[in-house]
Formats: sequence, structure tokens, C-alpha cells
Amino acid sequence: MSALTLGFIPLTDCAPLVVASALGLFREEGLEVTLSREASWATVRDKVAVGALHGAHMLAPMALAAGLEAGPSPPLIAPLALNRGGSGVTLSAALVRALREEGPLDARALARLIARRAAAGSPPLTFAVVFPWSIHNYLLRYWLAQAGIDPDRDVRLVVTPPPRMVEQLRGGAIDGFCVGAPWNAVAMAEGIGELVLHGSAFWAGAPDKVLGVAAGWAAEQPDALQALLRAVLRAGAWADDPANRPELIALLAQPGHVGAAPEAIAFALNGELVFQRGDAAFPWRSQAAWLLSQMQRWGQAGPDLDAAAVALAVYRPDLYRTAAAALDLAAPTVDSRPEGAGGFFDGKAFDPAQPLAYARSFAINRL
Amino acid sequence: MRVLIIDPDPARAALVAEGLAGLEPFEARHEAVFDEARAAAFAPDVVVVAADSPDRDTLESLREASQTNPRPVVMFVDRSEPGLAEEAVRAGVAAYVVDGLAPGRVRAVLEVAMSRFSLMNQLRRDLDKAKADLASRKIVERAKALLMKERGLEEETAYRLLRKLAMDKGRPIGAVAGDLLAFAGVLKGDAS
Repeated sequence: MSALTLGFIPLTDCAPLVVASALGLFREEGLEVTLSREASWATVRDKVAVGALHGAHMLAPMALAAGLEAGPSPPLIAPLALNRGGSGVTLSAALVRALREEGPLDARALARLIARRAAAGSPPLTFAVVFPWSIHNYLLRYWLAQAGIDPDRDVRLVVTPPPRMVEQLRGGAIDGFCVGAPWNAVAMAEGIGELVLHGSAFWAGAPDKVLGVAAGWAAEQPDALQALLRAVLRAGAWADDPANRPELIALLAQPGHVGAAPEAIAFALNGELVFQRGDAAFPWRSQAAWLLSQMQRWGQAGPDLDAAAVALAVYRPDLYRTAAAALDLAAPTVDSRPEGAGGFFDGKAFDPAQPLAYARSFAINRL
Repeated sequence: MRVLIIDPDPARAALVAEGLAGLEPFEARHEAVFDEARAAAFAPDVVVVAADSPDRDTLESLREASQTNPRPVVMFVDRSEPGLAEEAVRAGVAAYVVDGLAPGRVRAVLEVAMSRFSLMNQLRRDLDKAKADLASRKIVERAKALLMKERGLEEETAYRLLRKLAMDKGRPIGAVAGDLLAFAGVLKGDAS
């Protein structure tokens, strides 16, 4: 038995790890896994970096950010995606009421409201995301910017931990947020916010969390890594099966896991959140390139970044294919594909070979 | 130097603040939750934050200067030798430093925080163990009383029987006593 410790954050998409543990799938694959519930992404990153965790449930951009300056030997690798969908933009009930007076509930209405507030000398609206390196940050920024709202100038963007989003919205400290499941559903259930943009409406099949693994451990223990990937893939398939939904919801609702109301957890599971079905767990390098293009767009990475090299070093579809083959699961035969065509809500396509040109193509960017 | 301690465990935060009182002239404040407006008013030079506080992610976002955040912070371990970074993570402490402050002055703060965290975590473990021991003793007492009643044993004999069961099964006496009480409950129909 190989012993390892994996971290997770209380979010619905930690399901593959929690399920693999609860159903004994890790043990069946010869692993003795301890799950460690963590309070922040920064602590997850640091614990993996110093070896206190072997791997973790991670925001996909976080794994890439760790490899920005590491060249061909990044500290973390992402051999598997944990989920697609489940995130969304929620605005406060008060803001939604004001927007409805503008017309259809969209970012353009928000842009008009923001312009009027600025002219009247009102303080900027405040929106929260979960971490600077997150699909939530890029999704919210993209959505605001395509309507002409500059996310760095016209609004105030702050970082708030997911479990605190709802209380901050309730207290009026923030006017909206972009967060993963179940927190949008929790805000709706309380009647204090409305989900105005589903993650799947922004980008069908958008990347979200990955299984980030310490590269040193992965290189030293290739068999244990494969066992880990098999267990997580099997858990993802179990979690996708509607027949297992009640058991999954009860498992996630436990205080030691997500610790939210079962109804709120059910919302995304019965909606758009997918773990393994339809190659959902495949780590597309083209999606890594899209995330890196957004880091460049918003000034988190410089224009000289070699996005293709980072995507190649951090995202490891080769390791995924080995695990999938052992389970007789089909896997994509290519590592990259054109992203977005028909998938992004604004219809803009992304050529993974041209991330910088893409980042520059937006009217609002920090390049 | 002003130090802000963010820790959901107020007793541990107080212990860190007390430890820092032995250092150079400075002001320490501790809060359970990071509040940007209150923090800005205090204007700390160093923020010490518990690894089990979700506010670490908010502090991470303050690493870039912006209109609303003119004093960016850096993570102290970015600027220190790798060994110290590892030690701090394992001790459950992170420190954010307002850019420009000399690393040497911060090191002492971080070392106090790490040692106080270790001390507090040890105290908490000792307390948990003491509570568990006490609970176990109560269970043994109840199992002993049950044996005395049901089997008509003397107290000393009942205890010796429990101890023998524990030794035969290679399990703690508290666990065996707990099993006995649970089975007795089932036989009486408590846990149908």
C-alpha cells in the first residue's frame, strides 16, 4: 500500500476525491489515502510545494501559475481534470432589481447602471472571486469586459473564500460574486442573490478544477500515480451516475466534506456539473493555453510567456491516457483542439497556438 | 512595527500576541477574520495568518498594487531561505509583509508565531487526549456498574473481568467497555 495525503476545499467538485475515499476505491487500487480538508487555496498550494500534501483538488489556473517560471520542470502537474461546470455569477437581489429596470438581465444592463452610478459619483460596485488564479476570476472579467466594463477600473474586484461569499453578499459588503457550487445555490435559496450567468452558458465544458499532483512524487511513484488516477476516474464515473445522486449528495453534505444544505448541493449536480462523463476528466492542453492567455490578458503573466511550453509541462494528457486505457475508457487521441467555437457565449473562437494574439484581440486588456 | 494576527482560534492568536510582546517596540492586534477596511486603518507592516484561516486567499490577492491597495504585500517565505518556508507551512503559519520591510525584522516575528502555534497545537492535543481519557474512564465506570448489576460481581472483580477482556482482544479497556455497553443496549432493545 502506498500512503498519501490529498487536500481538498469544501466545494461540490471535490466529489471525486471524497467518493474515492468513501467507497474504498483508493484502497481497491492499493492506496492508503488520507483526505485533508483545507481552508484556502494558498495553503493547498504551499502544502503541496513543501510535501505536506502529495496532491490536491485545485483550481486549474493555480496549477499552471505554479509552473509559469519553472520551465520544463514544474513543481505541480495536472494529469486529470476533476470537473466541468458548476460555477456561476450571482448578483445581489438589490442589484438584480435595479438591473431589471434597465431591460434584459445581462452585462450590458450592468454597464449602463455602472456608467450612471459613476456619473452620479456613487462608489464602485464590488464583486468577489475566489482566487486571483481561477476560472472564476477570468469568467467574471471576461463577462464584464465584453460589455465594456473594465474590471480593474469600473468596479472593485476582491477575493473572498467560497464559504464566506454568501455572508458577504447578505451583509452588503459585495454586490455579486463568481464562485463554484454549491455557493450560488446557497445564495439563491436564501433569496439574497440571483444566478445571472451559469458557467456552462459562459463556456460549455469550461475547465474548472484539476487534480494537481506534486511533480517530484509523481516522477518517483509512477505506479502509485496511475493507481490514484484510476481511483479518481472510477469515482468520477460513480458520481456522474444519476442512480447514485442521493448517496452522493448525502456524502458531500457532511460537515467534514462540503458542509452545506443537501438541496444546495443537489442544484449543480442536477444541472451542469460533470466529473468524468464525455471525457470531462481529460486535461486538454488547449484549455490550459486559454487559461494562460487570460493570465496574459489581465497582467498576471507577461507577453513573453511561452504558453505552449507551460501547458506541455503542467498538463499531462499522456498520464491520463494510460489510466483510462487500464480501465477500458476511451480517451481523446489529440492533446489540443480549437476551443470556443460554438462553446463560448460570445461565439469567439480560441486557437490554442495563438494565445497572445487572442489576449490582445480584446478591447480591454492589460497587455 | 505593527503586526496583525489573523486566526480563527482566538486563544492561539492571543498566545502569539503575548509572545511578540517580548520583541522590539511594536503593536500587535489579533482578529478572527481579515477585514480589509479595518486592516487598512491599522496599517500593519506584517500580517501573520493561520494556515487554517480561509482569509489567506484574500491576502494573496493583495500582492498586486492597485488603486484600492496601494501597499502591496509579499509572502514572507518568498524572501526567505527554503527551510524556513517549509517550517512555517508545517507549523500552520503564513506571513505577509508590506513590500519594502527588511526581511531580518520579520524573521523574528515569524519565529515567535511558529513556536506559539506549535505550543498551542500541543496544548490542544493534550486537552483532547485528557477529554478522551475522561470519557473513556466514564465508560469503564458504566460498564463496570453493568457487570456488577447483571452478574452480581464485586467492583474489583468486574474491573478485573473488563481488563482481562481488553487484554485478550488486544484493545483499549475503554473500547471494550464501550462495546459491552452497546451490546447490552441491543439486548435490551435500545438500538433496534
